[in-house]
Amino acid sequence: MNTPLLEVRDLSIRVAGVGPALVDRISFTLNPGKTLCIVGESGCGKSLTSLALMGLLQTPPLSVASGTAVFGGQDLLAMTQGALGRVRGDRMAMIFQEPMSSLNPSLKIGEQIAESVRRHKRVGREAARARALEMLERVRIPAAARRLDAYPHELSGGMRQRAMIAMALANDPELLIADEPTTALDVTIQAQILNLMRDLQAETGAAMILITHDLGVVAEMADEVAVMYAGRIVEIGPVARIFDDPQHPYTIGLMASMPSLGARADRLVTIPGVVPQAAEMPPGCRFASRCPFASAVCNTVPMLAELGSDHAVACFHAPLEQPSRPRAVAL
Amino acid sequence: MSAPVILSAQGLRRDFVTRKPLFGANTIVRAVDGVDLQILQGETVAIVGESGCGKSTLARLLVRLIDPSEGSVWYGGRDIAQLDPRALRDLRRDLQFIFQDPFSSLNPRMTVGALIEEPLITHGIGDKAQRRARTNELLARVGLLPSHANRYPHEFSGGQRQRIGIARALATGPKLIVADEPVSALDVSIQAQVVNILEDLKEAFGLTLVIIAHDLAVIRHMADRVAVMYLGEVVEIARTEDLFTAPRHPYSETLLAAIPIASVRPRRARARFEGDLPNPTAPPPGCRFHTRCPYAQPRCQTHRPTLQDLGDRQVACHFADTLDLKGLNGGAVMRSPATTARFALYRAARAQEDGKTVAGKTDSSTEESLT
Repeated sequence: MNTPLLEVRDLSIRVAGVGPALVDRISFTLNPGKTLCIVGESGCGKSLTSLALMGLLQTPPLSVASGTAVFGGQDLLAMTQGALGRVRGDRMAMIFQEPMSSLNPSLKIGEQIAESVRRHKRVGREAARARALEMLERVRIPAAARRLDAYPHELSGGMRQRAMIAMALANDPELLIADEPTTALDVTIQAQILNLMRDLQAETGAAMILITHDLGVVAEMADEVAVMYAGRIVEIGPVARIFDDPQHPYTIGLMASMPSLGARADRLVTIPGVVPQAAEMPPGCRFASRCPFASAVCNTVPMLAELGSDHAVACFHAPLEQPSRPRAVAL
Repeated sequence: MSAPVILSAQGLRRDFVTRKPLFGANTIVRAVDGVDLQILQGETVAIVGESGCGKSTLARLLVRLIDPSEGSVWYGGRDIAQLDPRALRDLRRDLQFIFQDPFSSLNPRMTVGALIEEPLITHGIGDKAQRRARTNELLARVGLLPSHANRYPHEFSGGQRQRIGIARALATGPKLIVADEPVSALDVSIQAQVVNILEDLKEAFGLTLVIIAHDLAVIRHMADRVAVMYLGEVVEIARTEDLFTAPRHPYSETLLAAIPIASVRPRRARARFEGDLPNPTAPPPGCRFHTRCPYAQPRCQTHRPTLQDLGDRQVACHFADTLDLKGLNGGAVMRSPATTARFALYRAARAQEDGKTVAGKTDSSTEESLT
């Protein structure tokens, strides 16, 4: 068994002590070279989780209320900003959804990549620029030498995202966090970028946390999947288990409410209602207010319970075929 | 083709000036370039394509939210591109539009009731009491409560705002609704609710729907026919089933192959995609897709193909007859027995829940509680 590259335990994120936790005691591990997809809808806490790991949470009002995130022997959540600054961009890097707003609009692409190289490595200008060129070629930007001197606005969305990836990978990070990297892109460009990310991952051996709302992207990219709902991981496991044996009513509802690409079906199945606001968060299982299987027992918080083969679900009613035999343990 | 044609576009073209330099020539984008499209009464037609393909411009041209540079749109025996403003306003009773962004398409200073009532006032429909009753009925139709009429748009979630937009579009009793990406800003679970509402309403009011979308799964679910656009041109029009299982234009094939499929069995051999979308201000000569087409021949670089009738569909490709293109087969979306069983359990539990809460009412089951 590998030693995990990243081990997150009981991570909670709150708004200055008020209201229920926005991210509530989530735990997961990531092994070297593997891809974990965190999937969920708006407001489930998936982006907050990634920002917390990168030390980019807006504090105040947000703060990490509990937990550890051990990366290569060090707890990312306990590091000083200075120490974190040395890890970030070097051993771990992040790709954002909107390359236009995360690239500096007034710096040439090549300068931005060289800057991140020189921030972490003792290399001269020429060497850094050579590295930038090498990276642009690696992300298959056509006419890379010319694009070194282009500004972000001169590139298309897909090319900008490639430049962003080039920058993130410039220092050979062991961990890459990608927050909805293809959501803003057209479907054919998305396919290109996903192919590229997969190829580069195979070349570099970097592990990846991929945050997405798109189950199609999950199926194509993930080794492991964590399904989040309203700040909690409700189901986690290997990608094949999640798609072939989904256990949590939210996971099932989410998959079933996606229109099928196969022969035309009946009406879509829906998850009723919306994610509850902080003030109306149910005291127990947070999905209870929208769950067709909810019962009195759901007023207590279900813990993630292992179902075998690293597949765990936080639901008293799982497996649904046997509603009389609750498996999950109350907290 | 039994149903009569309700709306027909002929040779539609629309240019936009994107850059006006002090000296020299303007830069012009031909957003829609020579589109012919017939919409049949009662059908759902989807227009699909990537950004910059002109699908939203075409949608606006169809109901004359913008004027065409050339061409005509026939509705009810008249070319609506030629109508004077007064006649155009009357036409809006029949032709309505639903916008993509439910956050910016509703006036934030009007209550929901006033927003839905406004088109009734504009068209002089009913007296005050009748309009109020109609507003309440419309709210119920889209799964909202009468009490919601006194609230403002900002108090609602994205899905609820889209419901308000739909109720407003329905107010005048339109015959045809054009919806521009009506669900693409919404989360998956909310998207399903709105898709169901659109389908229920189409059924209930005998509407004709034109849906602009880039999500092929949504199109597969909703549309009877699909028009695929690329850089201002329609490259293929076919029945949905035919297009998805056996595309005849290389671009349709590319689009289908690019969809990430939410199934791990079997993981598909990954298609390779090359090339960026060309700049719409300088589209390639010949077939506009030839720069990215894996089957391109020398002829494609010089000769622009036009839409040809292939019997069951229309395709604009020189080699549509000879190419053997791949669609999505059923195997690509197969589910495991366990997943199928859980879906059935979920569906049954939801149906039971709906039966308990509201017997026989239109879709208030999917109503979102107002927070």
